[in-house]
Amino acid sequence: MSLELWIGMIVAALGTYLIRLLPLLWMQKRLTRSEADGPVDALPKWLVILGPMMIAAVLGVSLVPRTPDAAGWLATVIGLGVTLAIWRRTRSLGWPVVGGVLTFGVVVIVARSLM
Amino acid sequence: MADTEHSRRPRGWLIGIREAIPLLGGYIPVAISFGLISTQAGFSTAETMAISTLIYAGASQFLFVGMAASGSPLWLTVAMTLLINVRHVVYAPNIAPWLPRSRWWPWLMHGLTDQVFALAHSRLPQLPESQRVGWFFGAAMLAWLSWIAGSLLGAVGGEWLTSRWPLLGEVMPFALPALFLVLIVPRFTSRRWAAALSVSVAAALVCTLVGLTNIGIPLAAACGALCFYMIRLPETAGTDKGTTKEGRPS
Repeated sequence: MSLELWIGMIVAALGTYLIRLLPLLWMQKRLTRSEADGPVDALPKWLVILGPMMIAAVLGVSLVPRTPDAAGWLATVIGLGVTLAIWRRTRSLGWPVVGGVLTFGVVVIVARSLM
Repeated sequence: MADTEHSRRPRGWLIGIREAIPLLGGYIPVAISFGLISTQAGFSTAETMAISTLIYAGASQFLFVGMAASGSPLWLTVAMTLLINVRHVVYAPNIAPWLPRSRWWPWLMHGLTDQVFALAHSRLPQLPESQRVGWFFGAAMLAWLSWIAGSLLGAVGGEWLTSRWPLLGEVMPFALPALFLVLIVPRFTSRRWAAALSVSVAAALVCTLVGLTNIGIPLAAACGALCFYMIRLPETAGTDKGTTKEGRPS
C-alpha cells in the first residue's frame, strides 16, 4: 500500500469508529440531562422502534444462502424451522443456533446428492 | 449468602464470550473470504490484517480493497466506505440506556458491529448492571479477534481452505440467520410488532436479492418502522403501545 492509501485507510477506520462513537456520546449527554425522568424515557420513541427493526433487517440480509440454489433455500427454510423449534423448547441462544447450523448442513448435503 | 451467590455467578466477560460464539460461524468464513480477496487484489498479509483490525466493518472492507485495487480516486473510496457504515449511527443510542457509567465504553464502541449490536440489544437489558461492561468486552473482543484471525487465515491459506472444504464456508454462515432469528422472535409479541418486523425482514431479503445489501439494512428497518406507525391492527393482548414500561419493545 502506498502512503496515500495508508492515510485513506486510516481516515476510513477513524470515520467508521466515530460513526459508532459519536452517537453514544450524544445519547449519554441526553441521558444525563434527563436523569430525573429515568434513563429510558430519554430514548426517543422512534429509536426504540428502529432498534428491533435493524435486527430484523440484519436477519433478512443474512437469510440469502451463500449458494442461492434450490438446495440452499430449502436448507434455509428447514434450518430456520429447526432453530425456532429448539428455541421454543430451550429458550436459549446457543442450542438453537447449533441445531439450525447442523440441520442446514445435513439438508444441503442430502438435497444436493438427490438433485 | 449473597457473597456466595455472587461468586457462583459466571463473570460478565465469560458470559459475553460464550454468547458470542455463534457469531464466529458467520465471521470466520466471511473474514477468510476477505483475506483471500484482499491478497488477490494486491494487498499484503500485514496490510490485510491492518484493514481488518482498524476498519473492522465487513462489507465496507470488501469495497475498500476492491475500489483501491481498481484505481478509484482515494476520496471516493473513503467516502463510499464511510457511507456503507453510516447505518451504525443508530446502534449506540439504542443500547445507551443499558450501559452503566464506565470509561471503557468509548473504546468498546469500535466493536459495535451489526451482529454485536443485535446481540447486545437483546442481552444487555437482561444482565445485572455489574456484568454489562464485562459482557460487552467479552462478546466484542471475541468477535473482533475472530475477524482478524479469519482475515489472516484467508490471506495466508484462503485458496487452500476454500478448495479443501468448500461446504464449510457455505454451512457455517447459517449461524448468523439462526442467531438473529433467536434474537428477534421474542419481539413478536403483538400483531403490530409481528407485521412491522416481518416487513423489515422481507424488505431486507428483497434488497439483498437485488444486490442492495448495505443500503438494504437501513431501508428495510425504515420500512418496518413506517409499517409500525402506519398500521393499526387489532391486538390480541392489548400490547400495541409499542413499548413496555422499561422501554423495551413489548
